[in-house]
Amino acid sequence: MKVHDRHKCYFFILPAFLLLISILGFPAIAAVLQSFNLVWVSEPSFTLSSYGRLLNDLEFLTSLLNTFIFVSTTVSFHLLIGLGVALLLNMEIKRRHFFRVIAILPWTVPDVIGGLIWKFIFDTLPGFVNAVLIRGGFLVEPIDWLGTPHLAFSCFIFAEIWRGYPFVMLILLAGLQAIPRQQYEAGAIDGASPFQNFLYITLPNLKYMFIIAMILDTIWECRLFGMVYSMTGGGPGYASQVLSLLTYKHYFQFFNTSYAASIAVILAIVMLIISIPYLRMTMRREI
Amino acid sequence: MFIKRASFWTFIYLALIVMGIFNLIPFYWMLTSSFKTEGEVFSYPATLFPQNPTLYAYSKIWFQEKFIKYFMNSLIVSVCTAAFSSFIGAFAAYGFSRFRFKGKTLLMTVFLSSQMIPGVLLVGPYFKMLSYVKLYNTLFGLILSQTTITLPFSIWMLKGYVDTVPVEIDQAAMVDGASRTRTFLTVVLPGILPGLVATIIFAFLLSWGDLLWALCLISAKAKQTLTLGITQLVGEFRTEWSTIMAATVIATMVPATLYLLLQNFLIKGFTESAVKG
Repeated sequence: MKVHDRHKCYFFILPAFLLLISILGFPAIAAVLQSFNLVWVSEPSFTLSSYGRLLNDLEFLTSLLNTFIFVSTTVSFHLLIGLGVALLLNMEIKRRHFFRVIAILPWTVPDVIGGLIWKFIFDTLPGFVNAVLIRGGFLVEPIDWLGTPHLAFSCFIFAEIWRGYPFVMLILLAGLQAIPRQQYEAGAIDGASPFQNFLYITLPNLKYMFIIAMILDTIWECRLFGMVYSMTGGGPGYASQVLSLLTYKHYFQFFNTSYAASIAVILAIVMLIISIPYLRMTMRREI
Repeated sequence: MFIKRASFWTFIYLALIVMGIFNLIPFYWMLTSSFKTEGEVFSYPATLFPQNPTLYAYSKIWFQEKFIKYFMNSLIVSVCTAAFSSFIGAFAAYGFSRFRFKGKTLLMTVFLSSQMIPGVLLVGPYFKMLSYVKLYNTLFGLILSQTTITLPFSIWMLKGYVDTVPVEIDQAAMVDGASRTRTFLTVVLPGILPGLVATIIFAFLLSWGDLLWALCLISAKAKQTLTLGITQLVGEFRTEWSTIMAATVIATMVPATLYLLLQNFLIKGFTESAVKG
């Protein structure tokens, strides 16, 4: 049948288009202009001074490095634990439904709330970790987990590993369940060991989902805000500061708006570059 | 096989139990602490189980604070976001699924990549825009932002569902004299109901967990959302952890219940859309 009402497509897409242009597109462009000092200042003039300042700002450079360490560590652990748990849940286990519910639970906690719970768990005096260590006789003096720079950053990473891996696990589990049984049957006929099965059947089949999970998770971790805000606030000092929190602080607490915009632009560029393979893979499937 | 079957399965279940403990410890600590008295929660070293379980923290949070207000605000924002985002998203999904037009690929790529823009880039200029139009500090301004943030995701997820509805069904309805819009509303929408519900729930959950936008767009106490209100409690109460934990239990209960009730449904919708995009 010929489509006679082709122009109607605009009617269907227009509301979404207008919203995205005005609420996402406009602020994004404004932020870029702002980072070059072109809007919302008394004397607009093109300058790269915000970006120049970034290079000499130790807090920014630390946050950049922290973001890199944080994202690469959490994503690696998410993939590792996520794959492990997905493999477990894909076996012929009893109470699979029960274990799957348990496995997803951390992801149901909003990230700010997760941050608060872990802040309390690592609290020096009334916290859970110190209580267990002291009652178990492993420790005499309490450890100031979130008050010591390196420990605070590690605790924050640990907390996000806990909260984020079920997301990766779900995607990988869907991938595992989509692998045709016949391939394993063929493997059995050829006398493959379980390890060989895993290496030559499971992993190659899972490659696509693995890459998707990795990219999506990287994007999510890059823009994580609530957890670091509520758990460490970037501290002590800026030991656990990441770019999203630094941007917020400069924009809404110190009112260095064009400087904040330049930090956010850097973060956005990094994220867009990371997401290119994902966009290409998705669009190729779509067309 | 070298490993005996029995020891192999013991290892599997042991691994599952370790996973369970790792996942549940924060929940255990949150729940038990919320039932402790204010005195006990300060004791050192902390008790691992409440000595005199009490609901005091819950009654305190529920009756003395602006907690109900926060809760209702979160509910209003999340429900409106979920409704708008799914409805507008369904229209766009139908448009993308059923029509061929110039620039469709480009437009879809732009929609999809808009998901990758970090919130901190947008929220500052958006805050200035809202101030100009006097919508700063309103739930409406917050809902508008949340709707747009969740929109690309909703469109993408719903398009997958619309694609599964055969075009012949549309054609049959239109041959019978129904208009496009009518066909969409009365034939296609009911056909993608499971997908629509999954999308609504996901948009709801994303909006429920938001902190950044509420933090930057709302300053009046009476307009704060639950997540924002709870983070402010930490400053106000110093270390009154039993109260704060009671609040986090309530804030977590809503999304956790939704997940547990609808999990099969949500996982299917979510993973399928993640696979596709």
